[in-house]
Amino acid sequence: MTAPRSRLDVQVTGARAVLVGRIDDTAQLADVATRLPAGDVALDTSGVTFVNSIGMREWVRLIRVLRDRGTVTLEAVSEVLMVQMNLLAEFGGGAVRIASFHAAYVCPACGCEASALVDAIAHAAELRELRMPPMPCPECGAAMELADFPERYLSVLGAAPRA
Amino acid sequence: MEPLTTPPGKLVVAHPERKAQRALQRLVGATLSPVEVVADIPELLAAVDRNTIAIVDAGVAQSIPGLRDRPARAWIAVPGEGLDPAEAATVDALLAAGWSHVVAHPMPILAEELLATVQKLRRNEVFGLEKYIAWGAETRSYTLGDVRERDDAVTTLARDVVGVGLPDRVGSLVSVIADELIANALYLAPLDENRQRYRAGEARERGRALRGRDVVTVRWATDARYLAIEVRDRWGTLDPKEVSGRLANGKTGAAATEGGMGLALAYACCNQFVVDLQPDVMTEVIALLDVRYKPTELCRSASFHTFVVETPGEP
Repeated sequence: MTAPRSRLDVQVTGARAVLVGRIDDTAQLADVATRLPAGDVALDTSGVTFVNSIGMREWVRLIRVLRDRGTVTLEAVSEVLMVQMNLLAEFGGGAVRIASFHAAYVCPACGCEASALVDAIAHAAELRELRMPPMPCPECGAAMELADFPERYLSVLGAAPRA
Repeated sequence: MEPLTTPPGKLVVAHPERKAQRALQRLVGATLSPVEVVADIPELLAAVDRNTIAIVDAGVAQSIPGLRDRPARAWIAVPGEGLDPAEAATVDALLAAGWSHVVAHPMPILAEELLATVQKLRRNEVFGLEKYIAWGAETRSYTLGDVRERDDAVTTLARDVVGVGLPDRVGSLVSVIADELIANALYLAPLDENRQRYRAGEARERGRALRGRDVVTVRWATDARYLAIEVRDRWGTLDPKEVSGRLANGKTGAAATEGGMGLALAYACCNQFVVDLQPDVMTEVIALLDVRYKPTELCRSASFHTFVVETPGEP
């Protein structure tokens, strides 16, 4: 057990930051806010592979700071971050703008699981109705389904609860 | 044939539906304990004494404030016998009300979970993931020698889980669960002579050898029904009365910026969350993920159980 500890790498270009790695006890997210300009910003978290509760606390603080300065758009939100943001009332009901996100799909026919990047703007109408964009199974071609409760996984988008 | 020795006390099943009563009676009847079946609240209250394990429909459980505080060996809320899971809101409300045993999922999980729960209570044998996993499944164990091995243990565990054919999604959930449970064992379990959690603020990058009571063990196994992750510390300082409330608070995110989200996060990532405790000796947390069914076929909230080893002579 000697593998080096992964850390979070943050690349800032203009008003856009790309986060890659782990948001955990070692993540210094306060630095991200100081490196981004005031006003509207975008955060790409597709490369975030792990978030724990301490990391989530730092993430909440970062979003609060950035939100006070302008609109925060989240791009390519990783599955781990989606799962945890959906647990917090802080992010409920569309409190943050999500342009795209990753989601795990499961095939009801063969059990295959696969991840897809969902364009939340292009599919806004169907996502509001808790319907995911169709995705064929890469193994058998059957229509895949979201591998989570839509009302839970999509609550961060401000999706309406199913009647 | 030698007569079986059975622990004292009876089981009481309370459910308004006759079909559910029959199914639950058979399930817990497998313990060979006497089972009394009741249909309404007055009968339930009359039947339960301090040696009784009461198995109660979740709707009934929710309808009687303070029911779980009435004298009994244990109160267990169940969804019934059918194919419908409990309502997530009902599970959350029972957690908030401090229930120690809430079964959320329908058959066949109900049967597996309820039998293990009742037998752990009857026999006062609470520790070990083996009670949830079919005989024959191998158990893998890691013992941390230093706090800095936490990340490696989590990474190894997630890699091994995916290596047996479980999806990346499960590996990701396992990472979060193991990390939170190990962090709790390393930093929140130890108490000083004033019973203060003196390591809670310890710098997480600092190395510390783990010896004696500080040893933390992680085990996992899967039988293709469940994946079980077990984390043990040798302090036994988790307050069983606070756990369910902390999980309920975690759902609202109340603790998001104040800390204390770890257990709630681990609970949210699994299908059954079990706390086994021998006060001042050992805390064991077992998180079970059901890997048979699509997540949407189960209850949106996980089952929850807290077991405390009963010491002879204690009331």
